Order: sequence, then structure tokens, then C-alpha cells
Amino acid sequence: MSSRLALKFCGLQLSSPIVLLSGCVGFGEEYTRVEGFSNQDVGAIVLKGTTSQPRLGNPPHRLWETPSGMLNAIGLQNPGIDKVVTEILPSLNFSETCFIANVCGSTVDEYAEVTRRFDDSPIDAMEINISCPNVKEGGVAFGNYPDMSARVVEACRDVTDKPLITKLSPNQTDIAANARACIEAGSDALAVINTIMGMAIDVETQRPIIGNVQGGLSGPAIRPIALLKVHQVYEVAGPQGIPILGQGGIETAADAIEFLLAGATTIGLGTALFYDPLAAKKINSGIEEYLGRHGFSSVADLTGQLNLSDMQNTPASG
Amino acid sequence: MSDPTTQNTICLEEATIISQQSFPGDQYILRVHAPRSAARAIPGSFAHLACGPAIPMRRPLSIMRAHQRKGWLEFLYKPVGAGLEHLKKQTTGETLSLLGPIGNGFTPDPRRPNILAIGGGVGIPPMIFLAESLQNDNRFEVLVMMGSEVPFPFELSKAGISVSRVPPTASYGVTLLEEWGTPSRVASKAGYEGCFQGFVTELARIWLSKLSAQELQKVQLLGCGPTDMLKATTVLAKNFDLPCQLALEEYMACGVGGCAGCTVLLHTPQGPTMKRVCVDGPVFDAYQIY
Ligand SMILES: Cc1cc2nc3c(=O)[nH]c(=O)nc-3n(C[C@H](O)[C@H](O)[C@H](O)COP(=O)(O)O)c2cc1C
Ligand code: FES
Repeated sequence: MSSRLALKFCGLQLSSPIVLLSGCVGFGEEYTRVEGFSNQDVGAIVLKGTTSQPRLGNPPHRLWETPSGMLNAIGLQNPGIDKVVTEILPSLNFSETCFIANVCGSTVDEYAEVTRRFDDSPIDAMEINISCPNVKEGGVAFGNYPDMSARVVEACRDVTDKPLITKLSPNQTDIAANARACIEAGSDALAVINTIMGMAIDVETQRPIIGNVQGGLSGPAIRPIALLKVHQVYEVAGPQGIPILGQGGIETAADAIEFLLAGATTIGLGTALFYDPLAAKKINSGIEEYLGRHGFSSVADLTGQLNLSDMQNTPASG
Repeated sequence: MSDPTTQNTICLEEATIISQQSFPGDQYILRVHAPRSAARAIPGSFAHLACGPAIPMRRPLSIMRAHQRKGWLEFLYKPVGAGLEHLKKQTTGETLSLLGPIGNGFTPDPRRPNILAIGGGVGIPPMIFLAESLQNDNRFEVLVMMGSEVPFPFELSKAGISVSRVPPTASYGVTLLEEWGTPSRVASKAGYEGCFQGFVTELARIWLSKLSAQELQKVQLLGCGPTDMLKATTVLAKNFDLPCQLALEEYMACGVGGCAGCTVLLHTPQGPTMKRVCVDGPVFDAYQIY
């Protein structure tokens, strides 16, 4: 891969700004089933959300297609931290890409415990998932309140020196305030955004389609929302040198570049992979082509290049 | 988890539509040129198809036939939902992105030479594929029983291959299967000519109940179809003490094991566990499902 795509992200040296997102790529090797797919094409891979104990997750159906997107309510199905650390991590090839854990819990203590176990493992960094909309306890119950978010981040910070990325919820009034609280609590980077809560009903049976009643909306449907959230968080995080992993509906190089311009340092691919498992290759070359055409020597130079001169940025629309 | 045996087993190819035929009852048979997937397809496996740019998610379709030399795959579907509604409008020469073949197929037990393959509705395709792939395998004798509440999208004719102890009202079979030397019988509540009048599992029960204990020891069940049919098939398996494998369907996102969106709860000797229909299945032991 071209050196122009290489960059530093909260202490990690990445070969590409593309990060494969939690919950979309299993525990790091699932997509290698697909011919032509390679973990080497991406800068990092975030593993499935992991809790202290194994979780079976939510009942079916867990997925539903919506206009330009999809709802999911997996419910953090995972084999538990023990199995992840002792069986899964040793089988991953860390020479191909960076691997980031996705830390979940129903209590502050659980977040800290899972973080501590990952600290004592080869994992490159940890993403604190305080924004999962699909579990009854934890998740957005923490992520939608800046004070609670900060408590979780502090507890994780206390038990690791590895890079900590906090994954912010879009399901709250003031994401910038939450970002500020997480940075103060010791977060090294921010992931913006997790899925947006949604629902679908089968009108024939008059029942919710998703087994968990509600789910998280992802895909292109949420892209403009995600882009604005990245822009808002960048105003807080940018000046403090805290990088952003931008995500939400990115499918093409042009989408990725929008997020970089809005303030992201790295960009995430989740739902797009379901349609095109080889999307990362195309996005890498699309970004490279753009860098060449606009005379940038490194992808890092794109971050926050949004030109706002002579613009009034008012929150209201219409 | 890293497993060299699964790496590079699924290919992504632009499939060209060879033909798309519609049949009464809103059924479609789609044949596409997808040589790399055709070379590896097995009965029970499926392909994950992009149905058009306006449709965000792929749709899984069971493979009904695969022709290795000519490089085509064939599917049977009913257009439920926006994705397949879109797919049915595609015509010869158009291309669609195909991810496949995916999934573990049926693994019939050679100690049980008599396979009763039960297919219902759009669950019929894997049974056709199974019959075709085992036609020259002298370890097994396959009897296919199919049920449908809409006209069968295949040519039926008076069964030439006799099967002892099937009720005489089930007098028709699928012509193509007859050509392969595989006996088949059809069931429907709709009263079609030559069909057993009732559910396919009722037809199966009548046949099984006439077998001796010794004969039953040679029988195994394979099934694919709507949930009620799968449950009834499992009841048959339990009543007659037969091994039984079922191919399941569930909504899918990735189709390659990455999202855990397609899981089914299995009751294993080690306790309850969630398995992904796409890559851990779609074929599972019926006794672990129901
Ligand atoms: C099926 C599915 C499962 C997910 N599981 C997780 C998870 O375990 N932890 C997490 O932090 N985010 C999870 N997410 C959210 C994604 O990581 C990502 O933030 C979100 O989908 C937005 O990006 P996208 O539109 O590119 O998919 C999941 C998303 C999907 C679609
Ligand atoms: S559809 Fe994603 S794991 Fe099966």
C-alpha cells in the first residue's frame, strides 16, 4: 500500500486510514473466507463487542433492511473475555493489521475488568463501547450521559496504558459535551458514531420485526447525521489533538473523504462490507487518487480541511 | 478465529443472467453464469445476491443446481420483499454481484443408505441439488418428497420409478428427477393431479409407517422448507428414531460469519449455543434445533 495512506492514530501506526468496524467482521478473520479479501488492506480491525461473561445475544430476528440501511439488534453475542484472550487473540495475525478490542459491560466494574484483561494481551488498543443500543443494561445507558460516560472511561483508564478509543452514541442531545467529558476522563481517541436507535413493525402480524423490539440503524441512511456529529466532535477534540474514527454509512472513497475533511483521522467500514466485501481496496485507491489530484502528500493532511470561510454554521435548518 | 480450511472458500463474482423464467404462483427460476461458485457449490449451500443498487442488503438464495462444466447456478425463489421483487425484473444478459457458495451442505450418513429428502415450497431447491449430485453415488438411494401450495414449477409426469408403499394417490413425480433415476413424489393440499392430498410430511409419515424396523434402520431424513414443515419433519424423525438434518433460513447481512445477525439457538450436549446459519449451517442436526 502507498505510504501516503499510512498514518498515526492515537499511538498506533496504521497502513491505511480504513478501520473495519466492531460487530461487522466477527473476531477478525471471518472475512478472509472471501477470495481477494485481505486484512492487510486495512489499518485496523475492531473485534466484536466483548463482555466479561459469554453472551448468547438477542432472539431472532436480529436484522432488517430499511431504506438505504439496516437495523440490527445482535445483543452483544460473544464468547466472553476469557475465550477471546486465550483462544481467539493467539490465532490472529498481528503482522497483517492492528487489532482493536471493543469493550462492553453492564456495570462500570465490568468495563474495567474487561479492559484489564485486554491490557494483559497482545491487543493493540481498546474501544470502549458505551453506545450499544441493543442491550438492556450498560451501552447507551452510560453513553447518553456525559457524567456516566466519563466514569466508565476513567475506570478503564485506570487499568491500562494502551490507547483507549471511546465510541460515542448519537442518541443524545449534545455529543460535543460528551466528547469533552470523555477526553477529560483520559480517552485517547473518539469513535463517532455508533448506530442510531430505530424500529420496524410487521403490519400484518402487528408485531415488531426485530426480536429485541428496537435496533440500531446503520448504513448510508445515517451518513449525513454521522458526518455532522464528526464535525461537532472535531470542534472539541481537534484543538486537543484527540483523533476521531469517523463512521456511519461510509461506502465509497468520496464518503470517506467527507469524513476526513469534517475532522476524522481514520474512517470506519461496517455495513458497506455486507454489500461489497472488497470495498476497502477500492476506497484505498480512491483516497490515493484524490490525494494525488489535490496535491496532498499524506492522508493525515486531509483531516479537518473542511473550508468554512464565509460560512455561517447555524444549528437550525429550514 | 483463524482457520486455514475456511479461507478463500467464498468468491465474489459478477454473475450474468442466462435466463429467468416465471411460473404460476409467483415463482421464478433464475439461471446465472457464475463459474467460480458453480465449481464449488454443494447441496445445501447458498449464494448471497445483490438484487440491485436500490437494495442495500444482499439476499441469500439456496442453490438448486450447479453445472460445473458450463459454469452456471440455478435458483428457485418467490419474490417476498423488495429485494427479490427487484431481482425478478432482471433479464437475460444483466449482471448481478454474487457471493458464494456459502455454507456447509448436507452430510448424509453412509450407514443409512435410504435418504428421504423432504422439501417444501422454496425449500425444494437443496433437495433437487442433492438428488442430482447423488444420482451416480451407489452408496445412497434417494427418494424426494416435495410439497407445495402453488403449482410446482417443474414438469410433473406419471412416476415411472416405482416406490413400494407410497400411497397410490401420489402417482406423479418430477420428470427431471426421473431422468436422473431418482424417484420423487409430490404433495399438495391444492388438489393438483397426481399429488398426494395433504402436507408432504403426512405423505412421508404414511410411507415411513409402512416400513419394517429393519428397513427404518437404513433411513435418514433431510429437509428444507417452511418452519412448520421443519418442525413436522423433526417430529417424524423422533417418532421413527431417524437421524435428520435440516437446512435453515434466516435474514442475513454479511453472509460470511462476520455479523452474527443470522443465528439460531441450538441445544447441544454442551448446553445452549448460538450458531450462525450462514457459515456454521445452513444445515444443522434437527435434534439440536427443536
Ligand atoms: C450487525 C452489526 C453489529 C454491530 N455490533 C457492534 C458492537 O458489537 N460494538 C460496537 O461498538 N458497534 C457495533 N456495531 C456498530 C458498528 O460498529 C458501526 O459503528 C455502525 O454500524 C456504523 O457504521 P456503518 O454504517 O459503516 O455500519 C454493529 C453494527 C452492525 C451493523
Ligand atoms: S449473516 Fe452475518 S454472520 Fe451470518
